[in-house]
Amino acid sequence: MKEFDIAGDTFRLGYRFQRHWDVSMASAFFCGELGAGLYLASLAFNSVWGLAVGLAIVGIGKSFFHLTHMGVPRKSWRAIIRPDRSWVSRGLIAIIGFCGTGILYTADLAMGRMLPPTTSLLLLAVSAVCAAVIMVYQGLAMASSSAISLWTIGMMPFIGVIYGLTSGVIIMLARADYLDLETARILYETAVVALIVDLLTIAATLNSAFHSSSGGRVSVEQLTKYRYAKWFYGITIGLGILVPLLALAVGGRNFYADLVAIGGVLTGFYSLRVLVLKVGVYEPLLPLQFV
Amino acid sequence: MPRWGMVFDLKRCIGCNACVVACKTENMLPEDTFFTRTFVAELGAFPNVRRVYIPSLCNHCEDAPCEKACPSGATYTRSDGIVMVDQDKCIGCSACAVACPYDNRTQLTEEKLEHSYYGGGELASFEEPRLERWIAGTVTKCDFCSRRIDKGLQPACVGACPTEARIFGDLDDPESAPNKLIHQRNGKPPLPEKNTRPKVFYVD
Repeated sequence: MKEFDIAGDTFRLGYRFQRHWDVSMASAFFCGELGAGLYLASLAFNSVWGLAVGLAIVGIGKSFFHLTHMGVPRKSWRAIIRPDRSWVSRGLIAIIGFCGTGILYTADLAMGRMLPPTTSLLLLAVSAVCAAVIMVYQGLAMASSSAISLWTIGMMPFIGVIYGLTSGVIIMLARADYLDLETARILYETAVVALIVDLLTIAATLNSAFHSSSGGRVSVEQLTKYRYAKWFYGITIGLGILVPLLALAVGGRNFYADLVAIGGVLTGFYSLRVLVLKVGVYEPLLPLQFV
Repeated sequence: MPRWGMVFDLKRCIGCNACVVACKTENMLPEDTFFTRTFVAELGAFPNVRRVYIPSLCNHCEDAPCEKACPSGATYTRSDGIVMVDQDKCIGCSACAVACPYDNRTQLTEEKLEHSYYGGGELASFEEPRLERWIAGTVTKCDFCSRRIDKGLQPACVGACPTEARIFGDLDDPESAPNKLIHQRNGKPPLPEKNTRPKVFYVD
């Protein structure tokens, strides 16, 4: 049976790449997951600067890229109106909650805990929950419709969580010299495990997508065999996972090796976000057997 | 209250694109913007080759994923089943566009709305009404020519079709033309596995 080809923007019946969510949206997703992941990792390792940087990445970076993506930025406030059915609305509420409670908690921590313990604990809990929502809602927004088969894979929302946490942990390496030996050892081991989990998650997701539908198969093939393969293998896998693993294994507790790992992971993570949007395809309107 | 729907008769469609031109004229659409398209599929191998033309437009789904994805409430369904976009509420996030399995949404950028078909940069006087009707940055789509339907007319694409390949009518009326076609010739919706319950069907 004849298979459909990639039709692009032509009027031939075939697969069409989605181009509505582009690099600005990928950047917004990246900032959201990175910032929230760094915040959660910083909570675990008790790092005030990490909390502040994570908040800034979400509050400023994610907001900036979302606004540049919007067709009517002056009406962006309307994105909060339908939390009953839209993950975009729910995510925006989480971002506002995260920034509000996170800033208060971080300021309190920086000033030596001036708030009552109960209030501080409440701020910690709410900000942590909001951070978790930020990491997962983007994948859920992508998966909420059956339009793009690759995005509907069950693992897709968790890629954001796993990569966000990996990035957060990896960035903490920059301050590893300020940690005690035991905490630093845990940090390095966590980073290595996280990278391996990232690799396995990507493999599982792509395998699931390949067998899910024709659209999923086409997306995976574009990523692993055709148009975007060199970027995927070179940057997402090579620079994003293998190089950091090598740097951590060979470099030991070396600052420059840590910087290589940080740069590699962030570059690989960003490339994954861009590529997942780029290879999303709409399936042909009618099955061939119908015509 | 009618439940408006459409049937495409693939045996009648000749791919003339009169429907596409009528739609663009009726809706004052800018360049590279289509509410309806006619796709082409080439089947077989030489010398036994044939072409099939497959019209497409918004399917005004009963379970519209675009409506569920819209965070601002801009996308809504009228009581007669037409899925509409309130441009005043649209923020241009394109969540609806990536939610539509049929890729039937389009964003009207400022560049598109201010670009003339006729060169020279400036819009012709007869092109300027599009600036009044459309808001730059919003994401919109076919609305079954709701303004014409409210006046008792058919959508522009239906009226323009020379072979009557587009059949529009009330899907809840057992005597309506689309309803009869669907039952007599086993009409199928596009991509039924997406579970959107389209109100547009195809017969061959």
